[in-house]
Amino acid sequence: MNIPEIFVLWHPSCPLGEIFARRINSWLRPGNGLGPQVYYRSLPAPGAPKNGLPPPLHGEYRTPTQIGEESASTKITNLQIVIALVDEHMVSDPTWRHWLSQLRTQGSSKRRAIIPVALDATAYNTPNELRELNFLRPAGLPLTNLNDLLVAYEKHRLNQKTSLEEHQQAETVDSVVRSLLKQLTETLTRLLLPRSKNEVIPSQLNAVDIAPPKVSIFLSHAKADGRVPAQRLRDYIYSQTQMAAFFDENDIAISSVFSKVLNYSLDSPTTAAMIAVRSARYAERPWCRREVSLFRKPQKVDNLSVGVGTNEQWRLHPLIVVEAMDDGCKSLGVPEFGNAPTVRWSTDIPDIEEQIVTRVIRDALLGTYHSALAASIPAEPGKLRLILNWLPDPTTLLHVIRNHPDQELQIIYPGQGLAGAELDILYEFFPQIWFYSFEEILS
Amino acid sequence: MSDKLRTRTNINKVIALSISWQRENLLARGLGLEHLRDLLLQLARPILRTGASLAYAGNWLEDEGNFTFDLLRLISAEQEDNSLGGPDTNIQLGLLYNHSAWPHYLKVTARIEAQWINCCRIVRITQQMAGICDPDFVPDQEATTESARSKFNGAICLSAMRRLTMSPLVLDIPDAPSILIPAIEARIIMGGKVEGFSGFMPGLFEEALVTLEHNKPLFILGGFGGGAQILADGILRSSGNYPSELGLEWHKEKSMNFARFLDETKNFNLPTNVDSSERAFKKLVNYLDKANSDVVSTLNTGLSTEDAIQLLTTSNPHQAVKLVRKGLIALGLLPSA
Repeated sequence: MNIPEIFVLWHPSCPLGEIFARRINSWLRPGNGLGPQVYYRSLPAPGAPKNGLPPPLHGEYRTPTQIGEESASTKITNLQIVIALVDEHMVSDPTWRHWLSQLRTQGSSKRRAIIPVALDATAYNTPNELRELNFLRPAGLPLTNLNDLLVAYEKHRLNQKTSLEEHQQAETVDSVVRSLLKQLTETLTRLLLPRSKNEVIPSQLNAVDIAPPKVSIFLSHAKADGRVPAQRLRDYIYSQTQMAAFFDENDIAISSVFSKVLNYSLDSPTTAAMIAVRSARYAERPWCRREVSLFRKPQKVDNLSVGVGTNEQWRLHPLIVVEAMDDGCKSLGVPEFGNAPTVRWSTDIPDIEEQIVTRVIRDALLGTYHSALAASIPAEPGKLRLILNWLPDPTTLLHVIRNHPDQELQIIYPGQGLAGAELDILYEFFPQIWFYSFEEILS
Repeated sequence: MSDKLRTRTNINKVIALSISWQRENLLARGLGLEHLRDLLLQLARPILRTGASLAYAGNWLEDEGNFTFDLLRLISAEQEDNSLGGPDTNIQLGLLYNHSAWPHYLKVTARIEAQWINCCRIVRITQQMAGICDPDFVPDQEATTESARSKFNGAICLSAMRRLTMSPLVLDIPDAPSILIPAIEARIIMGGKVEGFSGFMPGLFEEALVTLEHNKPLFILGGFGGGAQILADGILRSSGNYPSELGLEWHKEKSMNFARFLDETKNFNLPTNVDSSERAFKKLVNYLDKANSDVVSTLNTGLSTEDAIQLLTTSNPHQAVKLVRKGLIALGLLPSA
């Protein structure tokens, strides 16, 4: 399984580089230690000559005295993903040209995939080794009046007061960033999501050229009042992505084809995700509840005994709840949703479908990453460790611990750890369990 | 409250964080503000869960690189709800101690203090507490002037503040019980600007100095640039010499404002417990010298020589966190996993 680390490269003179890099970081590392590590490479390393190179990537060999620092935490990773934000400054700088060529051709202890991003038309004048790759091309570039746009974007980002014009300028930059993140997310699915066992991925990866893996998105909705958002999401998936959308047209009971496909998909190693359109009637539709209940049932993917300790690995596919209730509507709660993230549906946001679908794919990526990382967690003698690829909540935990009644066990979950208030609740419900984060175990 | 989640082993202990973001320093090492926030969270949360408090002398402006609000939000999220008369009602939870020297605390409004009163105790170090005599007091309304006396008193208060953090401090409250501010038990430093400071020496240097003087654990994360790296270089001296930033002359040459400040105030009297710039730099270099020959007992971090040196040099945030935790566990300031 791939455990990636990500490097974002940009030339120090590139005005958009740092903005893009930080947004990539916050997209792939949504907080509290979730997601793969993202590192930056831009300014010359300490001690480098003027206009010299940034620090080497982990394990990168430049000279006998310049080898990228590796530590226990970076050694866990087995795939380096290098996102190069290519602009005229990078292309015209001989030092950077040389480095990019080296990164492409030099052998490494880890597999390395380079994802070039064209920030302007000169990007295609990179050295041959990179030129042969397919570039990501964020929509909306190049930007005109860049300085004004960047000032407005920065004010907007720091929540400073902006004029209407500045708000629009900030939105212009933001839409380019969103386009980049969408393309990047789709490219990363090719590199990171599970594939059939027979498929061979070359050691030097050209990410964009790899066929996309199978991803199935299930759209759960109540026909009575949730159909419009569900249809718009389905149409977007069909027209703008290479994923399969499963949409229960007929709104029939759980014995339908939909549920069979759902069951089949959950049992296969491929990736499934669900978008539940939570309209006012959703909670009272038994088959909607059944769908989401089925989907939120964790699955045991591995059971590894080491010495006298045992690790059980569990997986949960991502769910996004699209809140589509009209203003002032009343409805019951849906406990099966657990701690799934919620997005408010809005007809005023033109690309709302894109944002929701991109988000659920991103969450699928993170889930896969956390599953891969879970496999590296050692067993502890005499302990039963249940290792999850999601943040635990009472509903999903009830499934996981069902076979271990009254047994003292450890739940290991992704990230740096839940907040005290959340852990208090979990400890109150599950006094026989000890909760640890990946970070606590791996560091 | 869950015993599994929290202990109360470190109630009334305070661990100081002297961590600052300097964009170029970090970016040259392949890191950004996001990595620093991650690091801070990883360090602060387990400390809070032992019942210990944090000390961080940040300001109250909502700007990037100021971690006051990040820490407050963390503490707020960590605090149990002890407002409902439950079993934890009387348990003192870890706080943020925000030591603030005159005249900086004049900018802290009652509203800010009230908003965060359950998470934060602002400790104001007045001119009187700093040992300044009555005739030399500068009225608060003249604090912002560029007068030599005002700058001098400000520098004394900063110095005194750093010194006072190292001993228990009793704050008298009119018609109410006094409040005890515990001494700092250990300090973690990273980054830190060495130019443009407003005291007698760069703040991070002075914080390191007072910690070393009290023989308290000093974790120097030297691989991330700034003042901490200069201190690490001063200990390791891989180039054979002390970094020039550890000498008073370098600062006088580098900063006309600092040179002018020293010149304008050379005839002013210092309180007995405050060191002049010259004396403070000399004392710091002496301690670094001592650490060079015995890093384990001088820095007192509970780490082996090999680990202590690695902490001084690593630019990997995970490695740094791992080593600091290891040291804190060895010192009994964190429970072992």
